[in-house]
Amino acid sequence: MSTFPLRKWAGIAFVAVYLLLGVPLWYKLTTIYRAPLPRDYINSLHNNRFQDVHLTIPVFIKSDTYKFPDIHEATQIQVNHLMNTKEQDIKWSLQILPYNETFIEEARDQGEEYHIVTLMLEDFVGFNAAYDSKNTIVYFNDENVVNNDLPFFVAQTLVEHTFNVEWQYFSESRLMQSGNNNVAINYNPDVHLSINLLNGDGSPIDWEIDETLKIYFTPLREFLSPLVNFTVDTTVTYFNDLNLHNVNNTNTTTWKDISHIIDLSELSSMNHFTENSVVNLAVVFPSNTTTPEGLQFIDSEDNSNWKSFIVPRWGVLILNKYPLAPNTILTRDYLDAIMYKFSNDLFELLGLTSDMKDIFSPVITIDSFKRVRILQNMEKSIETLWSLVKLTEQFEQMTIPEEVLENLKKVLEIRLQVVDILNDPLRGDDNSWNEALRLSNDMVKESETAFFHGEMLKQNFFPQEHKLAVYLPLMGPISIVLLTGIISLFKEPSGTTEKETEKELTKDEEEEKKESIEAASVDAIDGVDEIQSEASS
Amino acid sequence: MFGLSKRCNVVQLASALLMLVAHLATAQEEVENKIQEEDQVEAVQDRQPFRVLSDGMQYPYKETLDVTPLPHNHLLSSFEFEMSSKPFFPGVSSSGYDQYDHYTVFPRAIEPLLRRTFTKQLHLRFTRGYWNSEEWGRLPHDGFKSGGSGVELWAVVEGSSKEDAYNKWKSLANTLSGMFCASINFIGASDTNYPMYSFKPDELRKEGLPLFDSENELFLMHASLANEPICTENLTPLLKLLPSKGKSGISSLLDGHKIFDSVWHNMAIDVTTTCINNPKFENDGECRFEMQANVDMAVHVPSILARNKNPIPKPLDGNELHCDLSKPYDAYQCFPAPAQTEIQFTLSELFGRNISGSNDLSFTHSRICAHISDNWLATIKLDDGLFGTDDNCFELTENRFYDIYMESGSTDVILDKKEAPIYVSRSLTGYGQDHGGLRAVFNNPSDETVRLSYYESLPWFMRIYLSTLEMDITSEEYAQLTLNDIIESQYYVPAIDRKRSTQLEFVLAIPPRSTVALSYQFDKAILHFTEYPPDANHGFEIESLVVTILDPVPYQLRTSTLLLYLSTPDFSMPYNVIIISSTVMGLIFGTLYNLLTKKMVTLEEAEKVLATRTIKYKLLMVKNRILSKLGLLK
Repeated sequence: MSTFPLRKWAGIAFVAVYLLLGVPLWYKLTTIYRAPLPRDYINSLHNNRFQDVHLTIPVFIKSDTYKFPDIHEATQIQVNHLMNTKEQDIKWSLQILPYNETFIEEARDQGEEYHIVTLMLEDFVGFNAAYDSKNTIVYFNDENVVNNDLPFFVAQTLVEHTFNVEWQYFSESRLMQSGNNNVAINYNPDVHLSINLLNGDGSPIDWEIDETLKIYFTPLREFLSPLVNFTVDTTVTYFNDLNLHNVNNTNTTTWKDISHIIDLSELSSMNHFTENSVVNLAVVFPSNTTTPEGLQFIDSEDNSNWKSFIVPRWGVLILNKYPLAPNTILTRDYLDAIMYKFSNDLFELLGLTSDMKDIFSPVITIDSFKRVRILQNMEKSIETLWSLVKLTEQFEQMTIPEEVLENLKKVLEIRLQVVDILNDPLRGDDNSWNEALRLSNDMVKESETAFFHGEMLKQNFFPQEHKLAVYLPLMGPISIVLLTGIISLFKEPSGTTEKETEKELTKDEEEEKKESIEAASVDAIDGVDEIQSEASS
Repeated sequence: MFGLSKRCNVVQLASALLMLVAHLATAQEEVENKIQEEDQVEAVQDRQPFRVLSDGMQYPYKETLDVTPLPHNHLLSSFEFEMSSKPFFPGVSSSGYDQYDHYTVFPRAIEPLLRRTFTKQLHLRFTRGYWNSEEWGRLPHDGFKSGGSGVELWAVVEGSSKEDAYNKWKSLANTLSGMFCASINFIGASDTNYPMYSFKPDELRKEGLPLFDSENELFLMHASLANEPICTENLTPLLKLLPSKGKSGISSLLDGHKIFDSVWHNMAIDVTTTCINNPKFENDGECRFEMQANVDMAVHVPSILARNKNPIPKPLDGNELHCDLSKPYDAYQCFPAPAQTEIQFTLSELFGRNISGSNDLSFTHSRICAHISDNWLATIKLDDGLFGTDDNCFELTENRFYDIYMESGSTDVILDKKEAPIYVSRSLTGYGQDHGGLRAVFNNPSDETVRLSYYESLPWFMRIYLSTLEMDITSEEYAQLTLNDIIESQYYVPAIDRKRSTQLEFVLAIPPRSTVALSYQFDKAILHFTEYPPDANHGFEIESLVVTILDPVPYQLRTSTLLLYLSTPDFSMPYNVIIISSTVMGLIFGTLYNLLTKKMVTLEEAEKVLATRTIKYKLLMVKNRILSKLGLLK
């Protein structure tokens, strides 16, 4: 009985096991885990960044002298009209509400404050803002009331002045541009401020820095705390003039010359603080031995003998003209002026002013910057997620751990929470904005945790060639044996009859061959013809 | 009131801020006064930006240098720098609006680190070289300021649990690693030990180190990197910690080129926390950090001088050779003379630099003391003038260059050297790649019994057998002593593979004038393929044995590190294994496959088939075909 079908089936079974079990198993065991990321959602968020955001800020309108029952409705119409004149990149609107004293008072007791517009009857027309509350005062006269100009005045004051920051930032795609300016440090809710007093010599000096900071910087710290929390340290460093003794000491020395020579490495390499962002303030006095006559290029008009420079993304440098005498104490008079200058520059370093020179009221501006920062944070974290998605798409071999997916889901979850707070017209007090800011900071943090997950890049350092090198010695021989085996098996003529005839034929041929061999052996004698003739006969 | 028109004036940021700050800072009344004051002050230029203290300023900083000649023309130089931090109250968060941290002479790099990691004591050592105790006597500072060869770190950390303390310790080690450019970050759980008898933990507790949180505990942790190379990148960060930055006072002498060219050198940093613990005082509970930095080095003076003269070593001329005159010598033969006993040098020759100026930061000026016998001379050199003092101590008071000149006609006479109370050496015994032994020899030359603590940390791949612990004693007088007479108490933490090292501590009593040897056996474990370091064939450094004398005198010493050889694989092994096993599997598979799919025939059939495959047969077939085509084949 022929074994051919059985053999054929055995061959097929091998190939089937190889293809159906072996290959998938190998693939399964050697592929890396890639958590399924919500790619489409992130892409759509990236393409249409603030699709679900409609920022609503409630403003209460209050009139002390006259009662205007419909002023909020009239103002609302004017505000909407005014806001429609400019293309809005991010949708936002003001919700004008009538003043409700009990509600406002209750909220104030809980430390929550809302935007209020107070209408005051005066002889002139104008507006003003308190610098310690979110109160805008609009002055009007009877003529305005008669002409029904008041709603327009209020609307204009609100949109163009009180909410000037929003008005500027939320239109014309300016949101992220301001965050990326060259001077500001990267935004971080916790910032370390490092204040250095540098002396070119080793003679002892001291400064009344603690008193100065407590008077000038503590209020600022408290004021900025919703946006940025500071930790501050100060130090006196000797024998370091930031390499100023190598500056060409002439009147014509420019900031450019100084910036090439100045050596901030020792101040920048400090890593003792835990915060990620740091702002520096360095007060430098040249050395008495190398520059006894003082730095010639410092010429201030007011005889203060120092000059301040902003070093982008680093901090502020105060260069003093003359070296200090030994045992000198820098008094508060001197430090006050420096802290005042530094406080101004600090706003720029934190990215709070950029090119907008006019600020309406510090409290209102900080409030506005909170909203700007919330949206910038949202954009930043979505941008990070999008980069993550893009990166994982480009690198097929990159593993995506489960934690990354978790982080990513959390970011999207927080984002929805933030959007809820932003869109809610009833939530416009300090606490809501602070909460939204806190959430948005978490969002950035979570998205960066996802992006910088340690596992993700690891797989890229294990190239495909390695995998090949490890598996080829096994896969190669097995595949070749299987392939050639199956080919020869299928090439082998099948069917018993054919086989039999073939066998018969071969038998005949065999005999024939034997004979011919015998014949060939006696071929030496001329018997070829004889044989052939025999064969033919 | 600011504006009067619709597009009215807008407040400038600066003025708004100033007003805000003023408003928040002080009461309205004060602000008004201030504004008035400022108006006046700005007009008149009588503001005083600077004030000079006529009686000087003082910071808690001190520096001294001690120079001590050692036998055989060696010289020990010990630099010591002391500084303390501003007082602080533990547990106060620095994020409070009114909280500012100020640093003056105490390094800003250290204090926040200690506060962040809740470290109460920090001890860091960088040591290399061999201190010849038998010739030179005791180690400087009685050994409490030196470490084993390599880097050694121990600290007292406050933590709520061992794990919490370990995490803080790890963070401390990582930061120090970055700060001092050393591989301290490689310290992990398997290198960290919690000493029981050594490093004075009991005394630490008695000192009453303050706890920031009363529910926490203090943990003493120790780790070392045996034989880690020490170089100038470790010295520079240390100099940066000093307020003088190595630019004035005695620290201006410290130059990596010379320090690391010495026979033995040691850098130490010790920070401790001291607190006022007395409710009667107003500042009860106030703490401050105190830091000591030491740099010690022992140099062979003639070699340094010779190198200064001849930076590239080459043979001396005949007339410069010092021959031993008691032996035959001529132009062709010269037995070198015993070491010369006359010497003269300046510190600037040894350190390659002058001392530039003094320390002005405190009232205690930089001080240099030479500890010399009568046949030595030490003078301070100022503008080519030499000045001596009675006590051979010199205060540097002015801002100018100083140098110290020393000379002696008989260098072998030095001040009485203090004999070390004990000599300890440790070595590996045995051969082969699977087991070995350790033997520590204690030689007590004194007439008193020496009580000491023995602290040994061994890597987990040395699997020791405590049951094989044996003692040998040389003195016949004590021949009857057993192991239990010598060992007063012991503390043993067995290793866990890859997680914990072996910690072995004994309190021993070594009888007078005797030599005691402790030995035990161990097995060498085989490491995982990836656990071998890049230079696996170098061997594994085993950290020093730390011996702390408890009685009669406090003293600490460390033995040399050991180099342990483990069986090291051929690192192409995994690929070879893959290739061989794949080949074998391929062969088996091929055979099996052929067996199952090839046709089975009898031997006769096979022979027939084979016969048809001969070349001769094929040629015949071709011939037949040709003939049949030509019609010749019938």
